[in-house]
Amino acid sequence: MNDFLSLLPLLIISSGAILLMLLAAFEKNRLETAAYLSMGVFAVAFFVQLLIGCGPATTLFNDVFNGMLVASNFTHAAGLIILACGFFTTMTTHSYFKVNTFCTLEFYATMMFGACGMLLLTLSQELITAFISLEIMSLAIYVLVGYDRSNIKAAEAVLKYLMLGAFAGSFFTMGTALIYGGVKSTKFIEIGAFCADNSATSPLLIGGAFFIFVALLFKAAAFPFHAWVVDVYDGASTPVTGFMATALKTAIFTVFANFLSQNSGLHGSWVTFLFYISVLTMFGGNLIAIGQNNLKRMLAASGIVHSGYLLIALVAISTEHFTGSVIAYYLAAYAAGTLGMFAALAYLGGESEKRSTFDDFKGLAKVRPYSAAAITVFLLSMAGIPPTAGFMGKFYVITSAISADQMALAVLGIVSSILSMWYYLRLIINMYFHEATESFETQGSLFATACTFILVFCVFAIGIYPIII
Amino acid sequence: MFAEALFFGFAVLSVLGAIGLLVFRHPMNGAMSLVVTMISLAGLYALLSAKLIFALQLIVYAGAIMSLVLFIIMFLNIQESDLPAEKGRWLYQLGGIIVIIPIASFLIKIVKSIPGSKATIVGSGFGGVKEVGLVLFQDWLLPFEIVSILLLVALLGAVVLAGKRRMSK
Repeated sequence: MNDFLSLLPLLIISSGAILLMLLAAFEKNRLETAAYLSMGVFAVAFFVQLLIGCGPATTLFNDVFNGMLVASNFTHAAGLIILACGFFTTMTTHSYFKVNTFCTLEFYATMMFGACGMLLLTLSQELITAFISLEIMSLAIYVLVGYDRSNIKAAEAVLKYLMLGAFAGSFFTMGTALIYGGVKSTKFIEIGAFCADNSATSPLLIGGAFFIFVALLFKAAAFPFHAWVVDVYDGASTPVTGFMATALKTAIFTVFANFLSQNSGLHGSWVTFLFYISVLTMFGGNLIAIGQNNLKRMLAASGIVHSGYLLIALVAISTEHFTGSVIAYYLAAYAAGTLGMFAALAYLGGESEKRSTFDDFKGLAKVRPYSAAAITVFLLSMAGIPPTAGFMGKFYVITSAISADQMALAVLGIVSSILSMWYYLRLIINMYFHEATESFETQGSLFATACTFILVFCVFAIGIYPIII
Repeated sequence: MFAEALFFGFAVLSVLGAIGLLVFRHPMNGAMSLVVTMISLAGLYALLSAKLIFALQLIVYAGAIMSLVLFIIMFLNIQESDLPAEKGRWLYQLGGIIVIIPIASFLIKIVKSIPGSKATIVGSGFGGVKEVGLVLFQDWLLPFEIVSILLLVALLGAVVLAGKRRMSK
């Protein structure tokens, strides 16, 4: 019974998606109804996930599913983040599609299928299941990125993402094959047991793990595989970009941490590799972000930097008593800030995202003081200024690195965080201390505005939560 | 000995077919070389006594899917003049080869490290419909089930990206 409850949010989301898909076949249904319905489904799934809670790791339906799905506190938290991301993104799209009219009902169904894949990915503890859930998620995201067919930038984005994503998928399968050759199983737990009995440095295992990491690092936009991020995030419509940046990253880092935490030998043999990747990711991302003039491109590049911090947390996880709390906390903090930012962009952007560069935001504080204040809060959270959630997230990441004896990584993380102030503060300065060169008014609609201010509250609530508890 | 020769024959053919797919300019030639890859893969499966997969590979991939691909290419009636002029295409291919070299040498190193093992005779039912079915629906039930969601998303995506679109109301 408990197993069924743990799967219930996933079942709610997938049946909601199928229901919406069927409803899309009827002429009568209006877009708003679909938005409300999908908001409702996400909200119900979120509260079910919240209520069921979760204890230590339990294998779901061990007899029938053969130990392929494992729920733990970590996957539970990741599921909550993903469902919340879905809910807030739907709220944002409701307003966004009032001025940008390329949406159909299938949009919401696709998004829910994507969330379904992400939830499966967090639960899966077996490589083939993980691969299929990864593909469910990716296919849904490809479709969402290319949804606006009249927009040539979206077409470019979906082509780039699809081609490179297919490559990443094939790397994942190749890695799975090599690991199966070495271990004779694709279950994480068996891989961990194999590493405990034999050394984790058998060539097949190293090769297999390497190819799997390539695929996961690609999806997480880490350094050598980050080139697609800026174009794809820029080409996708604003709410979709927010969804990609937060929910997808949550799912990827959850499965990454689940895989790495199986065995200390497996984790230990990859620490140096991950160390360099995370340093290069942070500084490479900063370098790209500083040069951007377009806000969405800047946020994409800053997403790369945040992947770097999450990789620090991955380097620092302890395999003996793995909880994943640092990673989950950072993901929640990052998701609140980023989603809020994209929600604000969605209603400030206006028709076909007119307001997009840093210059367009000049003097915004005079015209829309509350929106400007909200954006300031999100930016400060991403930059890591107390008392916001972003500060606490970075604080935990850095302290976990120090307690794992990764002093150099902790220092480099702080340096990168200081560098990132440059482009976050630049927008704040533009909004408050510059006169508007040209002004245009956008109609803020109820949902996106509400979503922005709920997320402002979330940023503070997540930041203060660990102090109170 | 005979099986080994067959293995190398099929392996070389499948790689050559894949290279052909990348190198040929005309989509028709590319599709035909993909057929070569598909059929030689079927041969490799047969060498592994995977009877069912061998048959499925021939019927579904080399048969159904490839004929659909060929049908669409013929339907579009692509002439030599329709193909875009690809300047510096050899340069790109050279770059691709340079990128592949380290990955290939890495893979060769891994493959060389695999300890040799004697071939053993598998049970009489191995790879048949019943055995594959038992494994699929007992050990691998969950992946089998979630593939249905994957196919549903792919279907929905194809309709959304390529189908006629009603504008939102």
